[in-house]
Amino acid sequence: MDDDEAITRALAGDLDAYEVLVARYSVAAHRTAALLGAGDEAEDVVQEAFVKAFRHLGGFRREAAFKPWLLRIVANETHNLTRSRGRRADLTVRLGQEREPDGPDSPEGIVVAADGGARLLAAVRKLPDREREAVVCRYFLQLSELETAEVLGVRLGTVKSRTSRGLRRLREEVGRELLP
Amino acid sequence: MSSSHDRPGGDPGDRFDELEAELRTLGETLHVPTPPPDATARAVRARLEAPAPQHARPRRSGLLRRPRLSPRKAVAAAAVFLAVLIGATPQGRAAVVSVLRFAGVEIRVGEPGPLPTGVPSPLPSDRRVTLDEARRAVAFPVAVPAALGEPSDVRVADGGRVVTLLWPGLRLDEYDGNLDVVFRKDLGEPWPEDVPTIRGWWIQQPHGVSYVPRGGAPQPEERVAGPTLIWQRDGVGFRLEGADKEEALRIANSTR
Repeated sequence: MDDDEAITRALAGDLDAYEVLVARYSVAAHRTAALLGAGDEAEDVVQEAFVKAFRHLGGFRREAAFKPWLLRIVANETHNLTRSRGRRADLTVRLGQEREPDGPDSPEGIVVAADGGARLLAAVRKLPDREREAVVCRYFLQLSELETAEVLGVRLGTVKSRTSRGLRRLREEVGRELLP
Repeated sequence: MSSSHDRPGGDPGDRFDELEAELRTLGETLHVPTPPPDATARAVRARLEAPAPQHARPRRSGLLRRPRLSPRKAVAAAAVFLAVLIGATPQGRAAVVSVLRFAGVEIRVGEPGPLPTGVPSPLPSDRRVTLDEARRAVAFPVAVPAALGEPSDVRVADGGRVVTLLWPGLRLDEYDGNLDVVFRKDLGEPWPEDVPTIRGWWIQQPHGVSYVPRGGAPQPEERVAGPTLIWQRDGVGFRLEGADKEEALRIANSTR
């Protein structure tokens, strides 16, 4: 069953079809929520996002792709969470913890495998929110610029400029030793 | 996505290729713990179906089905698919429910709720047929237990999805046991008893059973079932109700 058929059937109230969509995009949704800062509440954020997506499925433009539309809801839910907690994205905290030498097998949270990676990651987490979000979407989630624009709810040009600014800052931050 | 026009920064001396590649690689090493996708799907469904968290009967909180598997995969997985879902949803957290899916039957073992009071109702579009008509109407081989002989009544329901053979005091449902969940059973402890000789499970206690329609209607009819044996043979799921364990096993062994 492709997305289009699943959406058509879900719109008619077929929850089996919607389960197929949920299962298909569950991993992407969890990654998005976690990397945008939902922390250990990613699971709840994701479930709530899928519930909202189902209730607003009628507003989905059928010629569009489902994934970025869904991930935008995930991103919004994540924003609501971090805003309600009055904290910066939990990504910061998590990564800070994971950089401690408790090894790559920490039972939960985001695990950093490589040492150089940890350095770059530390630089990413220090980016201003908007630049960090753009960088996370483009490179960690590997979304295209257009998808990133949709997920973050900004214009394409804004994605380009935030990404560039972020990359420039990262390069300054990590210096040349990371880059051969 | 990695084509040149997609690269930020127009200045040739200001290229980010390597940094971008580093970031992508780093992204791939970031491990984000995610629950199994079908567990998320079920949890979302439960949220969508939950009327009001405070008053919902936990064991009816969802008509839970797994996403369809390809027949090949399903055959491999059909022997026993055991999943323990704990706290999949906040409202479900109170009711720790273990789910056993086997041969088209989903067995939910959780808090022993009240048994359903519903009056037994026929399966959807149930009709009386002869055994030959039943064999023509369904896509799977209809088996008759040699130990019981010709059934006194034969019924086909839901467009050939289920065949029911009836003898006085005995009921045998047969259905495609590979793909969908066809019946759901809600029971309290103890866990059903494994019967490896016939690749089946024996449920001794009275329990709620509901038919899960193909389209997955939200609220199935539920009724009380007595001791039941479920098993599978050649991809066909069997559900025998009304016999004691010894007799049920004898019947199952004679079903070909």
